[in-house]
Amino acid sequence: MLKPLTELPKGSKVKVVDIVAGKGLRDRLLQMGLTPGTVVEVVENSSGPIILSVRGVTIALGRGMASKVLVEELQT
Amino acid sequence: MSSNERMTKGYDVTVAIVGNPNVGKSTLFNVLTGELAHVSNWPGTTVARKEGVREWMGVRIRFVDLPGIYGLSASTLEEVITREYVVNERPDLIVVLVDATIPERSLYLPIQLLELTPNVVIVFTKVDEMSRLGIHIHFDKLEAMLGVPVIPTSAIKGVGIRDLLNTIVELTRSKRKFKELVINYGGLEPFINEISKIVVNSKVLKPYPTRWVAIRLLEGDKRLEELLMSSNELDILNSVLKVRESVRRSIGRDPSELAIGVRYEFVSSIAKEVVVRVERKGGSEELIAEVFQKPVLGVLASSLLLLTSFMLIFTVNTGFPLNMIFKFLGLEGLAEFLETYSLSGVLGHAFNVASDYVRGLLHYNPVLASLISDGVLVGVGAVLSFLPLILMIFFLLALLEDSGLAPRMAVSFHNLLSRFGFSGSSIYPMLIGVGCNVPAVMGSRILLDDVERRQVIFSVPFIPCQARFIVTSALVVSYFKSPTLQAVALLSIYLVGVLTFLLSSLLVRRVVYKVRESPELILELPLIHTPKLKVVWWITWDYTKHFLRKAGLIILTLSVVIWFITNLGPNGYVGDITESFGAMIGRFLAPILTPFDIPSGTDWVLALALFQGFVAKESVLDTLAILYGTADISEAINSLGLTIPQAYALILFITLYIPCLATVAVVYQESRSLKMTMLQVIYMVGLAYITALTTYYILKII
Ligand SMILES: Nc1nc2c(ncn2[C@@H]2O[C@H](COP(=O)(O)OP(=O)(O)OP(=O)(O)O)[C@@H](O)[C@H]2O)c(=O)[nH]1
Repeated sequence: MLKPLTELPKGSKVKVVDIVAGKGLRDRLLQMGLTPGTVVEVVENSSGPIILSVRGVTIALGRGMASKVLVEELQT
Repeated sequence: MSSNERMTKGYDVTVAIVGNPNVGKSTLFNVLTGELAHVSNWPGTTVARKEGVREWMGVRIRFVDLPGIYGLSASTLEEVITREYVVNERPDLIVVLVDATIPERSLYLPIQLLELTPNVVIVFTKVDEMSRLGIHIHFDKLEAMLGVPVIPTSAIKGVGIRDLLNTIVELTRSKRKFKELVINYGGLEPFINEISKIVVNSKVLKPYPTRWVAIRLLEGDKRLEELLMSSNELDILNSVLKVRESVRRSIGRDPSELAIGVRYEFVSSIAKEVVVRVERKGGSEELIAEVFQKPVLGVLASSLLLLTSFMLIFTVNTGFPLNMIFKFLGLEGLAEFLETYSLSGVLGHAFNVASDYVRGLLHYNPVLASLISDGVLVGVGAVLSFLPLILMIFFLLALLEDSGLAPRMAVSFHNLLSRFGFSGSSIYPMLIGVGCNVPAVMGSRILLDDVERRQVIFSVPFIPCQARFIVTSALVVSYFKSPTLQAVALLSIYLVGVLTFLLSSLLVRRVVYKVRESPELILELPLIHTPKLKVVWWITWDYTKHFLRKAGLIILTLSVVIWFITNLGPNGYVGDITESFGAMIGRFLAPILTPFDIPSGTDWVLALALFQGFVAKESVLDTLAILYGTADISEAINSLGLTIPQAYALILFITLYIPCLATVAVVYQESRSLKMTMLQVIYMVGLAYITALTTYYILKII
């Protein structure tokens, strides 16, 4: 099931499937390593920006942008 | 290059430094070039450009610091700058930095760069951190795999710097050439070949390697497309776009997604071979990071930390705000003690003593004595009285930056600030602005979004700085008698200033640049670590030096100019300000104050004082004191005999019109736009006048 990143609770491990944003933003996220297929961990998700761990790097994403990242939850 | 050219250029080879944000570029650059860096802007932008020359084994190497980027897709201004520089300026060598603490991500940039040019040395930064994090990297294996030199360094520990310099000298001497990196894009290959065949006919794309151009165009590259468009190679552009469209249709995705994915897979396959990671238990660093990342706790911790630090800095500097609190509590003695022994109090006193001394020394020549003591010394004093404040603020910011806390705090403030069209990172220029607007304008450099940068440059001067605080609080204390009223008046002034700042910034974003959304936040959160004093000092001194050079010179020069205006008249040296050019200016400007019902006789005095305030806010008070021939500031203020509505309108005007000429100068320096700078001056003065006038009439009716 595809879900926007904003809907996943703290601690979940997810796989990036798609980024439905304008080209500029999408390329930016892709270049930071959020390519489809990458496994990402949600470090923090409440009212503020979402905090992720991607390829060994901690990244904060504004909620607007995070809602454009579609992911698939991994069975744990 | 002829030897003649060499002499005039001042360097023999050019080395560009490229890397992700926060990779350790500035630190390495500092170690490589020492204090000799030259800072400017990339043409037409607000992005800073640094370069410096280092001589090594008889070769003068010019290092050019390119902006921090994640890739070469030209999706940001920084990426465009970097790419154009690499392609058009053809540096002899490019040093691309890889963060040894996050190799799996930061190897992406060198891989992408190697597709564009093989003239690359890969330098790992922060290798001293590897053992703490349980990371091991086989550098020699990587070198063999990529075919370019790989050098591990630690700018902090001084590891690998000689190696790097030796390699640069050796490579530029031997003119050894490496081969471009060719990555297999699998299913995209046929289309890359198809586009390659189309673009070989392009003239404007000649400087770029063909395969690279083909990949870029397949991924969709605004900048290259613009190039084709503007040089009328529309056939080529259209054929390319057709291929791209058909690929997109057949795979159902943007080709850039596939291409970047392939590149990252390539990076992963290399990382798997050369990077070994051992699990390590998290220490206190991780705990701190967690606190600041928590939603409510993070905001609380950030606010508390910033509030106490700034309170402390301001109190040391002027006694405010602790002195007000003490006064409020009836502890007059303690408040006075704070004011007397605050840095600006002590410095002010020292300069008064020095002035008197010079006057005594040069008593045989009163004109010269006055020029030096009232012109030059006042100027030096003004610069020096700002210095401690600036140093302390920058030191705090450097500490936050180096420890890794700064971006986490920016995340905490993001929600609040995005309502006003800012990202969380804007908290820093705003806070600096409460101290001094000059470094606040300079601080706009840390912002990623170019429009946001302009917003801050344009509107941050509305934030009441310490100099304005000194003037307004003197007026408030003279005209409002009860401590409660004083507090309300002062608070209202800060409120008006900050509100005007926020609204003006929104105006710039929404109306001038027509951007509806707030800047998005994408911020990398580096590891928390104990700040290194050396790095903190570098950052602090770097900023302070910049301030001294720009603002210092302006303040000093203007102080001397002001001396001439107020001491010379049509009949030469007058020694009496009422017969000087200054008085003429005051009388000329006086009618502007007529709507405020200021009696004639007072009007030109006030006009002249405000004119002086244009140069530096504090001189409003000094001018009044001189004009009324008294050393007692409050006596001078009372001599104006203003009504309460007049006084409050005056305070508002002082808060909102140009903070000082030094601010105007850095606005120009940062925006590189005379138009924007002029507009800002007109806007600020106009808005201040209208606000003051409206408030005056409302208060008068009440
Ligand atoms: N351990 C360690 N840390 C380093 C080293 N070099 C830099 N750092 C740290 O890395 C962080 C970023 O360093 P900067 O030099 O400011 O990085 P930059 O690439 O210029 O970053 P921006 O200014 O954001 O573009 C700082 O906290 C430094 O203390 C190093 O050799 N070893």
